[in-house]
Amino acid sequence: MTTNATTVKDQIRQFVSEELAAAKGVTLVSDDQSLIDNGVVDSLGIFRLVTFLEENFGVKIGDEEISADNLASVDMIEQLVLRKGKK
Amino acid sequence: MAYVLQQLLSKSTSRFPEKPAVWARNRSINFRELDERSNQLAHLLQQSGVRKGDRVGLFFPKCVESIISMFAVVKAGGVYVPLDPQAPVDRVGYIIGNCGIKVLITQDERRRSLDAATRESLEKCIVVDEAKHSGNGTGVVPWSALSEYPASHAPVVTLTETDLAYILYTSGSTGRPKGVMISHQNALTFIEWCADKFQITNEDRLSNHAPLHFDLSVFDVYNAIEAGATVYLVTEEIALFPTTLAKFIETQQISVWYSVPSALVLLLLHADLKADKLSQLRTILFAGEVFPMKYLKQLAELLPAVDLENLYGPTETNVCTYYKVDRERLASMDKLPIGIACENTEVFAVNDKDEIVTQLGESGELYVRGPGVTCGYWGDVEKTKKMVVPNRFQPNFEEKMYRTGDLVTLAEDGNYYFVGRRDSMIKSRGYRIELGEIESALLSHPAVREAAAIAVPDEVVGNRIKAIVAVHASEKAHAAELQQHCGTRIPKYMIPEFIEFRDSLPKTSTGKVDRVGLAQESQPLAV
Repeated sequence: MTTNATTVKDQIRQFVSEELAAAKGVTLVSDDQSLIDNGVVDSLGIFRLVTFLEENFGVKIGDEEISADNLASVDMIEQLVLRKGKK
Repeated sequence: MAYVLQQLLSKSTSRFPEKPAVWARNRSINFRELDERSNQLAHLLQQSGVRKGDRVGLFFPKCVESIISMFAVVKAGGVYVPLDPQAPVDRVGYIIGNCGIKVLITQDERRRSLDAATRESLEKCIVVDEAKHSGNGTGVVPWSALSEYPASHAPVVTLTETDLAYILYTSGSTGRPKGVMISHQNALTFIEWCADKFQITNEDRLSNHAPLHFDLSVFDVYNAIEAGATVYLVTEEIALFPTTLAKFIETQQISVWYSVPSALVLLLLHADLKADKLSQLRTILFAGEVFPMKYLKQLAELLPAVDLENLYGPTETNVCTYYKVDRERLASMDKLPIGIACENTEVFAVNDKDEIVTQLGESGELYVRGPGVTCGYWGDVEKTKKMVVPNRFQPNFEEKMYRTGDLVTLAEDGNYYFVGRRDSMIKSRGYRIELGEIESALLSHPAVREAAAIAVPDEVVGNRIKAIVAVHASEKAHAAELQQHCGTRIPKYMIPEFIEFRDSLPKTSTGKVDRVGLAQESQPLAV
């Protein structure tokens, strides 16, 4: 598992940008950009994202953690992964 | 009896003035406030030039102001057009031009995002979020201007039930969306049927899961207002997350839920639903796509006291048939019926010999007649003539019926069952998608020579979309680039998730792209 913050964020940004945003015709412009308001993630995209985070960073994300409080932007996703990684 | 939609609000306001009518984003307004704000906005709309029959666009994420706006437009005698707040600018601009919207209710940021030609075509923009932007220039009216107009009464307009109330745009096979015109009578036929069938009372709490440009929302909003109940608008940050959504149903004590089946399947799979926490829930309505039997059986088992109702009907008819899930039969059923005709609606299937199907087990295209049926598509006489046709089975007087394009079977149990489509329209998350519209978007990219959009069946969302593309010999294109291009023309739910490149596309013996062959060779898409 990678613990370097820059690397974690880069990997998240790359996945969100290439796997989720591109397929919705959206270009990510910043790490605090909402992935919800502009439709980058849809109901299936959320679970693709969670699967990616679990497989790539070796963290376990519970159903109750799959929420707008944790997954609404690249910044917030990074915080979630770092928080989970420390446990 | 009400003959225009705004009467539903005035009747409930006189009975329950202080009761909450609409809740959204942690804010609610009561019936009196909804009535007064919509009166004021109706006056402002008239002042802005809106006359009887004029179209007014609503272009902002759903909130309390959405419902105020819907009522205000009809009170001003206008026709509201809900626009998908996430739709590409090009599509929004097309719709604004197509139905001649001159007055738009929007957010300042969204107004600025429109292309210059569209902005110039608008005479007035009323912005719901003006607090953040003052001094917006000519033609921009802040929401705060409402306070200058009378709250106690609506402007005087003469409407009959056949006047249009709203236009809903759905995917069009020729590459552009088409506007389904719904009159007050069309809408009220459905609303009054629901009020009676599902016995909605002022004690009920209705959810609104569907977007307002999607016809499922008509029940949520108007049946709540009709009954003096409260409608709770589900916004994206709730809808996308199953656990948050389950908590919302529990906390808001939702009693009547209506959505596409895929929303319910995601709740089942990821929200750990518990019957004891959803004790207020009495009725679940679903529509828009086929409910996978496996999950419907799980839902029925999990919520043994909840009525489950399958509603069926294209936007052009609101809803035309229904089936109340029979729990005793459910275990042995492998397919869910679309049921029987709603009251005040007639449906029948017409076979290849152009005869009405009377034999049990026989298939045909489903036709619908009655006061719920649309008078056609805005500004598209050709398409209207093709789909809303004279009733040739009844020679005594002129009337229209709607051809759904859906193939159905009349089964021995007396119910109709959906079999498939006559054309290339598909459903994904309940959205109607014309594969031809996706292909048009792909073909509008200069590098693309041939394109076929394919629906790949999916257990949860109905269908996912894949495209097979051949580019011109001298050109190169990447999937992301084509998806980006599609994103400027079609809504996000229509953009192909996967794009496969080939040198050329397989053809049938008549030289057409072999969509059937391509669909057959497509495997389910990996999550």
